[in-house]
Amino acid sequence: MKKSLSKVIALVLALTMCASLVACGKQADSGKGEAVVTDTKTPAGDAKGGEPTEITYATFMVGSHASATAEAEVIDAFNKKYEGVYKVVVEELPSDDAFVDKMKILASSKTLPDVLIGKNGIRELAIENGQAVDIKPYLDADPEWKKFVGDDAIRYNSTEDGKLYSIANQRQLIGYFYNKEMFEAAGVTPAKTWDEWMENNEKLKNAGFTPLALMTGENAWTTNLWLAAMIGTDGQAGNDFMNSRYPVNYSTDSVIKGLTMLQKCLKDYTTPDAVGAIYANAANNFEQGNTAMIANGPWMCPDFTDETKSAPGFGDKVGVALYPENGLISQFEVGYILCTEGKSEAETAGAVEFLKFKTGEYAQSVFLEKAGVLPLTENIELSGDYRAANPLLAELIELSGDAAYTFENIDNTAYSAVVDETAVRYPELAYDECTPAEFADYISRAAELSK
Amino acid sequence: MINRKKWAVLFLLPGILLFAFVFLGSLVVLFTTSFTDWAIGRKITFVGLKNYIDLFTGDKTFIESVKNTAIWIGLQSTFHVFTGTVVALILAKNKWYSSPVRAIFFIPNVISSAALGMLFLCIMNPQYGLVNTLVTKISGNTFSQNWFMDPKTAFLSVTMTWLPYAGLVTILVMAEMSSISEDIYEAAKIDGASLFQTDIYVVLPLMKNIIGTSVVLAATSMLQKLDIIMMTTQGGPGSKTMNMPMYIYKTVFTNNNYGLANAQGVLLIILGVLALRIIRGLFKMDKKED
Repeated sequence: MKKSLSKVIALVLALTMCASLVACGKQADSGKGEAVVTDTKTPAGDAKGGEPTEITYATFMVGSHASATAEAEVIDAFNKKYEGVYKVVVEELPSDDAFVDKMKILASSKTLPDVLIGKNGIRELAIENGQAVDIKPYLDADPEWKKFVGDDAIRYNSTEDGKLYSIANQRQLIGYFYNKEMFEAAGVTPAKTWDEWMENNEKLKNAGFTPLALMTGENAWTTNLWLAAMIGTDGQAGNDFMNSRYPVNYSTDSVIKGLTMLQKCLKDYTTPDAVGAIYANAANNFEQGNTAMIANGPWMCPDFTDETKSAPGFGDKVGVALYPENGLISQFEVGYILCTEGKSEAETAGAVEFLKFKTGEYAQSVFLEKAGVLPLTENIELSGDYRAANPLLAELIELSGDAAYTFENIDNTAYSAVVDETAVRYPELAYDECTPAEFADYISRAAELSK
Repeated sequence: MINRKKWAVLFLLPGILLFAFVFLGSLVVLFTTSFTDWAIGRKITFVGLKNYIDLFTGDKTFIESVKNTAIWIGLQSTFHVFTGTVVALILAKNKWYSSPVRAIFFIPNVISSAALGMLFLCIMNPQYGLVNTLVTKISGNTFSQNWFMDPKTAFLSVTMTWLPYAGLVTILVMAEMSSISEDIYEAAKIDGASLFQTDIYVVLPLMKNIIGTSVVLAATSMLQKLDIIMMTTQGGPGSKTMNMPMYIYKTVFTNNNYGLANAQGVLLIILGVLALRIIRGLFKMDKKED
């Protein structure tokens, strides 16, 4: 009797355990399910007594990112304008890498947010998984919005079959910034040829300065900008290469020549922490007056006068120049994608409204003013006051008229696997563990695998 | 007897069902899709052994990732467990330092791997890191070494972020040691054994099972190691610090090649099973005590 009673008690306990597990699962599920229903099926503003439709948005422009202030202002303005109708729920990811990795994970499970930047292959994954929608019909239906996006930006992101899966968030003109005091002390001026540029590096080094703020971690941004410039200004062949989408053969003379120069730079002309460093390290090295040059776009300009990032008065010491051979990176960004396929009409309408807002006149003006981001068209004018307050940006725009070679950067033209491969191979190049030709083979292979 | 079996099955059922639902299903999917060409947006097609052949014939990074994983399993199973056991034997003497040292030695085990990765990035920073600063102070000459990015030191540097921190092994061995009867120590003492001889000839043989368990835990931890590598080197320079989990991650999220990644996953499981078989064999863990 006692034995069978203990068995019954044990059985009851086991069943209770199972039931609690099932109940836990159900609770979690129902919680999730309810949120999804609210998100996707509720018409704007009329569910649960007028609760706004939530639009999901992910961003890396947070924290110390150069565009963080502008980003927050635009999102706040949208939420205020559409209060009670739409609400942007922001997922903040504190670095470009974290953003790209997380979005690729979400793409694999078809759970990308409604609106996001489709950089580093995210757009392609969203198209392939069926979440991205063609934005062109929405754009055609709104001439005012289309005017501020502009034909050039539309053409840039259009596919061969005329679809438009992303809207650029900015026009980019990228040259390089230099420290005028260091240049003067070393007796150099912005180089006109690459030979002169290498000589300048040597002169700066001999004068006791570290010439370049390079970094090879993350997407090797500043290093790859120099590489793009070296390739893109190497005659017609190099320029064609840097204007072609997703090349698979990097074992070309232009690439190897560029890598040979960069190998010397990584070994002799940069900071000890450059190999493996992230963007923040390179930016800090330039802004704190530790290096003489950094390749980057005008969105960095506000940092030069921000005393939390740069030494006081640093802004007056900075000059801007075209790359040697009068080269300039001139391109549009991949920009925002709309991932509303299969979502409710209300959520889609809200996401489209948010995309319009994010790429419209107001947002472009805020990003120009607060983050030095160039607008997509000349419909947003740079006033005389603005030019006076932002002389570097004004100078770069003026210099762009002299550019003999314009081209794109590697982030835009290459498969994301290629960019990743450059980041892990630069240390080998810097420490003579691989030759420029071998480096080119490695990245060609990465491109081949991504085809 | 039959009745007892019924009860055993009944009690095992919830666990088996949960395992089948969570793991077995995933394993079946993993194994089957490893024979396919599978990427987001592409139709899954059967490609037979192509993924496996590609990995072993044309993928040097994969070969290096297997080699590195195997080396790290070996190091963790030996040096790491040895360190933890030695520390446990020392601390078990219950001296004044035992308690604080045990607490300090366990600290790396309670810090998250991501935070630990950041910590080591700072400590080993080539410009302002503690290690280079110490060497500079001691030698009197400016010393700058890029520990994580120099191909000559990268593997060792990454290894040092986990190898010596054997707090878990120490805790496990000490817990097992506390179950040894005082009589055994007294008998050894009466026989004239020194403390060292007692540890070697009496305590350690009694610790065989827990050391075996520690080796299993240490080895399997290397089959999952991803976070610190991701924080410090991302598998570079080149593929000097690439291990199998990191390469699987890259194959999925950089190359969007799920079929190939799943083939690597199958091989990782096989490597894990092999390692476990060898360890259990060495420690005779399947053999019943007489």
